Amino acid sequence: MPSVLAYHRPTTLDEAVDLLAEPNRRAIGGGTVAVPEGRTPTDDGVELVDLQALGLDGVTVQGDRLVIGAMVRLGDLAGTSTPTNPDIPDIPELIRDLAKRELPSTLRNQATIGGTVALGDSDSWLLAGLLVHGTQVHLHGQEPISLEQSLEECVGARVVTAVSIEFDGEASEGRTAIAGTGRTPADVPIVAAVARRTGDQLRLALTGMAPSPVLVDPTDPAAGLEPPGDFRGSASYRRHLATTLSARVTGELA
Amino acid sequence: MTITIDITLNDEPHTLEVEPFDSLMAVLRRVGMTSVRYGSDTGETGASAVLIDGRLVNTDCMLAAQAAGHDIVTLEWFNKPDLHPIQAAFVATGAMQSGYTTPAMILGTWAMLGENPDPTEDEIRDMLSGILDRETAYVKPVEAVKRAAALMRGETPDPFGPLILPRMTDGKNPTPHDPADPRPEVSEAVPRLVPSIDVPEMAVVGKPEVKVDAVKLVKGNPAFTDDFVERNQLVAKVLRSPHAHANIVDIDDSKAVALEGVHAVIHHKNIPRIKYASGGQSWPNPHPHDQVSFDTKVRHVGDRVAAVAADTLEIAEEALRLIDVTYEVLPAVFDELETMEPGAPVIHDEDDTEHISDASRNIVHHIGAMRGDVDEALADADHVFEQTFRVHQVQQVPIENHISVAWLDSDERMVVRTATQVPFHTRRMLAPLIGMEIKDVRVIKPRIGGGFGAKQEMLIEDIVAHLAIATRRPVKLELTREEEFASSRTRHPQTITYTTGVSNDGELVAQNMRLIGNTGPFGTHAYTVQTVTGLRGLTSYNCPNKRFDCDVVYTNIPVPGAYRGYGAPQAEFALEAHMEDIAHSLDLDPIEFKRKNWVKVGDELNIAPHLGEQAVLEEELDEYPKVMSNGIEECVSQGMRAIEWHRRDDPAWVAPADRPNIRRGLGFAFCMHGTAIPFLDMGGCSIKINDDGSFNMLIGATDLGTGADTVIGQIAAEVLGVALDDIKVYSSDTDVTPFDTGAYASSTTYISGTAAKLAAEKVRDRIKERAATLLGVKEPCSIELRDKRAYAPDGSSVSLEEIALDSLHVNDHEQIMGTASYVSPECPPPFAAQFVELEVDIDTGQVTIIKMVMAVDCGVAINPITASGQVEGGMLQALGYGHCEEFAFDDNGRMINAELGPYKIYRADEMPEIETYLIQTMEDSGPFGAKAVAEIPKDGVAPAIRNAILMATGVAINDLPFTPERVWNALQA
Repeated sequence: MPSVLAYHRPTTLDEAVDLLAEPNRRAIGGGTVAVPEGRTPTDDGVELVDLQALGLDGVTVQGDRLVIGAMVRLGDLAGTSTPTNPDIPDIPELIRDLAKRELPSTLRNQATIGGTVALGDSDSWLLAGLLVHGTQVHLHGQEPISLEQSLEECVGARVVTAVSIEFDGEASEGRTAIAGTGRTPADVPIVAAVARRTGDQLRLALTGMAPSPVLVDPTDPAAGLEPPGDFRGSASYRRHLATTLSARVTGELA
Repeated sequence: MTITIDITLNDEPHTLEVEPFDSLMAVLRRVGMTSVRYGSDTGETGASAVLIDGRLVNTDCMLAAQAAGHDIVTLEWFNKPDLHPIQAAFVATGAMQSGYTTPAMILGTWAMLGENPDPTEDEIRDMLSGILDRETAYVKPVEAVKRAAALMRGETPDPFGPLILPRMTDGKNPTPHDPADPRPEVSEAVPRLVPSIDVPEMAVVGKPEVKVDAVKLVKGNPAFTDDFVERNQLVAKVLRSPHAHANIVDIDDSKAVALEGVHAVIHHKNIPRIKYASGGQSWPNPHPHDQVSFDTKVRHVGDRVAAVAADTLEIAEEALRLIDVTYEVLPAVFDELETMEPGAPVIHDEDDTEHISDASRNIVHHIGAMRGDVDEALADADHVFEQTFRVHQVQQVPIENHISVAWLDSDERMVVRTATQVPFHTRRMLAPLIGMEIKDVRVIKPRIGGGFGAKQEMLIEDIVAHLAIATRRPVKLELTREEEFASSRTRHPQTITYTTGVSNDGELVAQNMRLIGNTGPFGTHAYTVQTVTGLRGLTSYNCPNKRFDCDVVYTNIPVPGAYRGYGAPQAEFALEAHMEDIAHSLDLDPIEFKRKNWVKVGDELNIAPHLGEQAVLEEELDEYPKVMSNGIEECVSQGMRAIEWHRRDDPAWVAPADRPNIRRGLGFAFCMHGTAIPFLDMGGCSIKINDDGSFNMLIGATDLGTGADTVIGQIAAEVLGVALDDIKVYSSDTDVTPFDTGAYASSTTYISGTAAKLAAEKVRDRIKERAATLLGVKEPCSIELRDKRAYAPDGSSVSLEEIALDSLHVNDHEQIMGTASYVSPECPPPFAAQFVELEVDIDTGQVTIIKMVMAVDCGVAINPITASGQVEGGMLQALGYGHCEEFAFDDNGRMINAELGPYKIYRADEMPEIETYLIQTMEDSGPFGAKAVAEIPKDGVAPAIRNAILMATGVAINDLPFTPERVWNALQA
């Protein structure tokens, strides 16, 4: 049985939702993960629903939030794509930096922020950055939910239309710091800490410590976490990194 | 359900019928875009990248249907008679080795420069970050992009070539390093060349000539195995074992055979059981011959079970799912020490494999060699040191996976076009497996996208040949990246224990090397790799009493085999770490201690003849081989200046006050390698003149992207007094070209180059004779060839074209041609000094490599650009070996990181600074003074990192790789 049984490119959100309501269908943003997985032979095969024609690739300021369409490419967020997308306004420096760190160039030009949120990868720098930016996830047909809730609930089966982050001019960027430990400078970090201070508020997010990146208590960052262990880092080493890297970034913002 | 899509492809509208599952890469290749190349299905290599709406995007992880309505540009868009400035820059800088990922790099450059005409190096490296390259270390591609930018801005950059540096030493004695002596400030892509007064100026040799295959590679023209499609070609897939160790109780292929579009299913029930060893080595292949095409037992996850030929890849994959296999799962063993223990599962319990040393204990070989009396010398030594080192499993990771196409030609001979380093060995080894004679088998090697030893193997050619016989149609098999990891070849894991006796004055008096080599389930290359480990581990330093004591064992890990360096990187890691620690224990400067003991000109390599395929007994030897050229002192001096070695003594540099968690270190490793296998490696060459005074050169040598065709062409051009462009090289076709053992053992320039030199000299001599006749000169030897003319002593001359026309069409008709072959009685070692600068985060264990410097004595570099490219690429792979690459398994022996990200290949945007120094010496036994350069860069990086960590932190780590947790654990100990 062919692995991908059918390809759909809906032109309205309602059509997309209807398509995805059927079993064995999966949304694709850029396709960097869904396409390789979809093309892997399985018993049942899969139908892929491509969201590229839904007009979800804009970035706008709405009130005090910057709304980033789900189909905006990470390369556009990072400002590394050429040709440059003229429709992308200034993105907070932290998000720009972490979008660049998320993937190498060719994959960054393809992957989308909606796909990144839907996947909820534990090791995602960008998701950690979005967490400390108070991100909300916009789902078709319902009120936005926090990124934390989104990651906990695994929204992959629903249509993410956008994410929005706190945006109130330069002041809203706050002060930020990041630290990660990997095998090489551009490696996906074993554990990373991302912190953002705005006024008295300090937000700290960790990667590599839970099934998806998590906001943690800056005073006791590893509390309650049961990190996975793998060949890159055991659970106990990850706990050590979480403490060390958290201290590093919070110290930088003290 | 077929989908109709409309795309714009290279400015032309196209309407295409595609399937929902078709990748865009597959569709673009189907319509002839051969520059779009397969490296994985996950977008990790970038080999498949094209411009979509102006952006560089991978097409292997994108459906063709996603591209509907979009504008696509591939490198074929650039395919005009003249090179685009970007292409010209890639050619001029030697930015291509195999050229497999060059199309993606050029497209990315074009997109970037369209908006940003003056990019920073960081921007260039970021653009390249999605395109993996195992060959260049990205050094020359970055330079090419800078140069392309300059050209497109209308500037005229200087010609690209080596920087000539004065010597720092007299070649024999060390020179104190003066910190005030500034290191040369040029681009890292520029090789620093230190000439020798023993080497005369030459016209073509030693020059930065452009690669002879540059045009086809830079244009993305059809060049690789998959670029040539045979009519009615079928697609093969292999069913692989999910178990590390199991008996195949039964195979039921009936459902697969019945599937429409399936043309053959093969497995142990319908393929003859013929024993062989898959390593591409000279006849007779070393024992044991412990493989068959399809066995009744599987011995590692990924082992072959069955294969299918079908109309399409999707049908073949479906057919695999329909094959019912009943396994009896057996206990498995993965560790080289545990496998010898009583009660360990016996991996080869069959009764038809001969020459296993002790099958009941999984011991394939016991290898021993000795000089002097080690036990007595150790007992008498003033100091004795013993250390054990563990080295791990890594893979070559060519970006082009293994791929072969086989068919029966109109004469019903078997033709195999394949990505191989050993076409002639493959022909010889394949013929008996498929019941044909060697004369009825032809193996053709086109361009290949990297090999590094992985393709010194008859890995999949028997499968496609069996299927071609079964179907009477051409059959192609291309491994996926996951298959490449699980079923091709890797570096041998080893456990190495050194016991060394040292006198009070710092001289080695005895050295015992105990080695346990893990060869996985098959013994391919097992004997020879471990003997090279012994050779390299026991010949670099003078010592009168030496012993090599080795067991090679079977386990159930994926199969190790040949990997660039071939046992030497393991040995050099252990040896250079051991020597470093001895020096510290004796409170000696490590370099001084090593210098006191390393081999110098005139020293005997006193255990070398007793190890290897051509091993001899002491009483059979007239004399031991000696070192005849050695530039190590100059290498060390140049390297120390480049790495600013004096900083070791500055506490403020080692522990920067503003970064309390950082410790800095500098490390050194002495490197010595070999050049070819004496009395065994052989190359042949045939040269003939054409009407216009140009030459066709046929060589069996196998260019893996290394520039071998170019370098050998330069050698012939130098002899014949013509430009390289007048030598048209055709290589590696067993029906057409002379025999060559293949590309391994750092032999090609030395062996095949000498064969070319000898053949060219025959042609030259005949040209001189005819020129003498035409010019009325009595002594042909007085004729001189240069500038494509033959000159008499009086200055009169005749062109080679006139000589050719005369010989082919006018007088005493003859084809001027020459054929020669060469096998060397010697194995002159290249030497090198490897330096590394790094930082250790002592709170996390993370090691960051800042800079690598290698100064290498490779004799005369025939082409300093290709030679430096070898050094750069070799250091990149060596960096991965020492720092981050590793196979990780679950408890059942399944690899859990069989993708390039988790496995961790270095990207362009995270590379340390790299500098390459070519230190000339004159090796009289080599063609125009050349020695080897391809493998020695693999040897020193891991120990230099290890020794730099030791310097920075005081912690000695004896296991590889230096991943953060391993280092952190060591820091806590």
